[in-house]
Amino acid sequence: MDVPGDYKKLQEEGLYKIGADVPSITYKEIGKRGIKRIDGYEKASGKAVYTRDIQFPGMLYARVLKSPYARAKIKKMDTTKAEALPGVRAIIRYDDPEIKGRQLNGSYFGPEWVCPDLAGWALKPIHPVLGDEAWYEGQPIGATVAADSEEIAVEALKLIDIEWEQLPFILDQEEAITPGAPVLRPGAENNILEDPRSRIEKGDVEKGFQEADKIIEFKAKRRAHLWAGAELPSVVVRWRGENLEMWVHSQQPYHQKMLLAEWLGIPMNKITVHVPYQGCSFGGRGNPANNSENGMNILASLLAKRTAKPVKFVYDRSETFFGESGDMMVTHFKVGAKNDGTITAVHIKNIFAVYMCTPGVEHLIDNTKIPNLLCESIVADVSIGPAWWCRCEQLPNCFCLTLIFDHVAAELGLDPTEVALKNDGCDGKDTSFLSKYKREHGFPERDSLKECIEAGKKAIGWDEKWHPPGTRRLPNGKMHGMAFTWDHQWDDVRGTGSAAVMIENDGSVSIIAQHADIGVNPWTTYCQIVADELGVRLEEVNVKPFELDSGFAMMSPDGSCNLVSNGNVVRKAAQKAKRMLLELAATKFENAQPQDLDIKDSIVYVKASPEKQMSIKEVVAKAMPMFDSCVFWTEAPVIAWAWHTQGLWGEAIETGRPRLCRQAHFIEVEVDTDTGLVEVTKVVNVNDVGKAISPETVEGQMYGGTYMGVGRALTEEMIWDKQTGVLLNRNLLDYKYATMLDAGPIETIVVETGMGHGPYGTTGIGENTATVIPALLGPAVYNAIGKWVDEYPITPDKVLKALGKA
Amino acid sequence: MKEEQSVLSKYLCPYCSEVFHDRESLKKHVVRKHRSDPLPSPQGMIRLTINGQPYELMVEPQWTLYYLIHDKLGLTGTKMFCDRGACGSCTVIMNGRPVLSCMTLAIECDGSSIETIEGIAASKHPLIDAYVKHHAMQCGYCTPGFIVTAKALLDKDPNPTEEQVREALSGNLCRCGTYPQHPKAVMEAAENLKKGG
Repeated sequence: MDVPGDYKKLQEEGLYKIGADVPSITYKEIGKRGIKRIDGYEKASGKAVYTRDIQFPGMLYARVLKSPYARAKIKKMDTTKAEALPGVRAIIRYDDPEIKGRQLNGSYFGPEWVCPDLAGWALKPIHPVLGDEAWYEGQPIGATVAADSEEIAVEALKLIDIEWEQLPFILDQEEAITPGAPVLRPGAENNILEDPRSRIEKGDVEKGFQEADKIIEFKAKRRAHLWAGAELPSVVVRWRGENLEMWVHSQQPYHQKMLLAEWLGIPMNKITVHVPYQGCSFGGRGNPANNSENGMNILASLLAKRTAKPVKFVYDRSETFFGESGDMMVTHFKVGAKNDGTITAVHIKNIFAVYMCTPGVEHLIDNTKIPNLLCESIVADVSIGPAWWCRCEQLPNCFCLTLIFDHVAAELGLDPTEVALKNDGCDGKDTSFLSKYKREHGFPERDSLKECIEAGKKAIGWDEKWHPPGTRRLPNGKMHGMAFTWDHQWDDVRGTGSAAVMIENDGSVSIIAQHADIGVNPWTTYCQIVADELGVRLEEVNVKPFELDSGFAMMSPDGSCNLVSNGNVVRKAAQKAKRMLLELAATKFENAQPQDLDIKDSIVYVKASPEKQMSIKEVVAKAMPMFDSCVFWTEAPVIAWAWHTQGLWGEAIETGRPRLCRQAHFIEVEVDTDTGLVEVTKVVNVNDVGKAISPETVEGQMYGGTYMGVGRALTEEMIWDKQTGVLLNRNLLDYKYATMLDAGPIETIVVETGMGHGPYGTTGIGENTATVIPALLGPAVYNAIGKWVDEYPITPDKVLKALGKA
Repeated sequence: MKEEQSVLSKYLCPYCSEVFHDRESLKKHVVRKHRSDPLPSPQGMIRLTINGQPYELMVEPQWTLYYLIHDKLGLTGTKMFCDRGACGSCTVIMNGRPVLSCMTLAIECDGSSIETIEGIAASKHPLIDAYVKHHAMQCGYCTPGFIVTAKALLDKDPNPTEEQVREALSGNLCRCGTYPQHPKAVMEAAENLKKGG
């Protein structure tokens, strides 16, 4: 049997390469400012369609019952009255055969597996799609209904008679691990969840503490917040015989399709997934959220099957308050440092309530030369919803890194920017290791952290304004504070995607693949890359990535990883398409070989005699996927596809790609010592993004993340009632995120060292500004008032308490 | 609720809403008082002008204006985000004022003139181009609400200061944090409006 060569070639071509990316093209569109967003008009004019906007004649509306108690069991449930309500078309109960005992679990490894991507969720032992027992208030439980309208569906749920058995609950993680606390999981000995990352160790911390001049110990607590995206979780499902069609609000629809097919027991090729625009996601609609987090896709599919009608399932706002940030942590820090700011050892002890398997030490490994690290974590089972992605799972890392560095600087009386530079490195090795790596792999030998710090200090006026804690009262009577932190942007080392580039026979260019847009302007960026790689004008490239049935799907958690994967995907596809195009063109020029030709501004020309030209349109006029060719011979279409994998999640050293790009963030605050109110008056974000393909997009991720971060730092908090375990602020009036007036000017500085591992030297942007800023507010408040507020968010009551006024 | 139902179960004059206890009394009243009046509108019918076009619509009393515009008329540019008047995404201009369509009952809007994002875009208002140019959007879900609010501001005050723009838009939430771009876009649109005018 002949071994086909194409597959192996595809696999080899698709694998990431370690080393600096030296582009073979001249940039025309890449890196240019002022490029019109490809999605801009649709979004501004209200024409962009989101899942909630999808409607069909005869469509039914689904709702699901939610547990009113923090921990409770259904003893008896009677749905008779609900079923009799006019307009109710189906009710599926927890004890109905198609759902009884069925779990949300499921993965590419089989139905019994919990998908490894579920991280914090996976730590929980049971995940019924619709069970009779709830372990947090608001959990889907008992019954789901499809009705002619949302009002009828809601009314029907109210008519369900339930006899509840309320069970003891625990909200606080420290309380949960206290001996004698009620055990929440049946059959378990205590409330400690098994966590593969409960102990991470590098070097010997005890040795490191002995080498230190000073030991610094402190405690910090972070309360839960959540993604709270603009568009509500939603799905529309209809069956066409054995084929299922789905419109879904999801970052990773291919993943959703895999899981739904497995759960329903139907082949994947019978599921069609349409992916409209996405009203935010930030991980909240990430990975298999609609499947594994709340079972919406499954319930909608079952209801649509029973009723033989299209079913739309949209959560209301109050129902979206689950899937907390993975940084609900109480942490004890012990840090050893020399007088010059060199950190010799860090011991982190966490108690998590909800968790995303990043305990907080990873960025110290990836970013610093600190040789001795120990991170011990306990993950406590509590009666609140499990953690989920929430821009993002790195929250504990940014929290820990910022607090450690700023506490060290404060205790030693050093400038925090100096402490950062002193400890920059990777996996316990200093910057000479990074310099050697850069030399050996063709990267420019630039000091990213130094460049970022210098740019940021200048922008905020650091040298003029930085002062010892609690020493600068402003003329308005408020205390002035400022702070600095640093980090690296994950992640440029993971993800897989595929796409095709097709030259339509009018010469226009289509990028063909599904991609879930969550707002970071990826589509324009892909078009810029394809335009430059092909040599065509930007306005001739388009992408309409709404259909998974296109056969190709690009990587999307957006922002941090999409460009490094998908940039490579579209670049490779464009390069292949260009080769094909030149092969076809060579047949149309006299005595020409493909290598004799090139393309510029959508014109194919002979390199040696540029006056010999032909438009792309002329070249491909007969190259088409179909034609009723009774009047002329057609030619094969020019379409090429590529696949790229950027590797696996992992620490820098594990991946063989130490993070070379750094970033620096500076903040200024004013603290009113009478009211405790903290105002953010200025922020400077400096990001070394390697290479900015679309500078405005990069900046958008910085100021956008800053606003989210300011909300998380000062006002965003989920508040549960201690007496009942009920979440008290399930709405956007009481769960407060930042408005336009809640932060002063934000200055964004883009540094481009070309030291990213992505295409053209890019690294990610997007996730971490929102993740870094919350922790940074603590040191800024300390600098203002001279007292640490060690509990986040930093609300006025906590500031007053720190000042001894409350 | 009970009281309302009892009123509804009685005999209501379709012309003047006077309540009667039996059909005969109602009949007599109609013949006597309304004999020469034009036929009354059916209950639940409202007349609206939306983006310059007249509508006669039968609405149920619990429908919000958002539901009517988005679900029933298919003008899906008006977005539901917070569900309770906290975010401004469902803003439409009613009789010259920005209103939250999720907090407004459709049945109360009889006789109103309403402008939605679709109408603003169709009129080629310079806000649209300015928003695109300044990347005053990311996921785009809240964008129409911002633009409608900004349009209402510019209708009222064609020369706002940047501070006034920020103030006017401060009730609109954007989870992506596009805030710094909006004043830039609105100020530029204001300039372009003046040039155009």
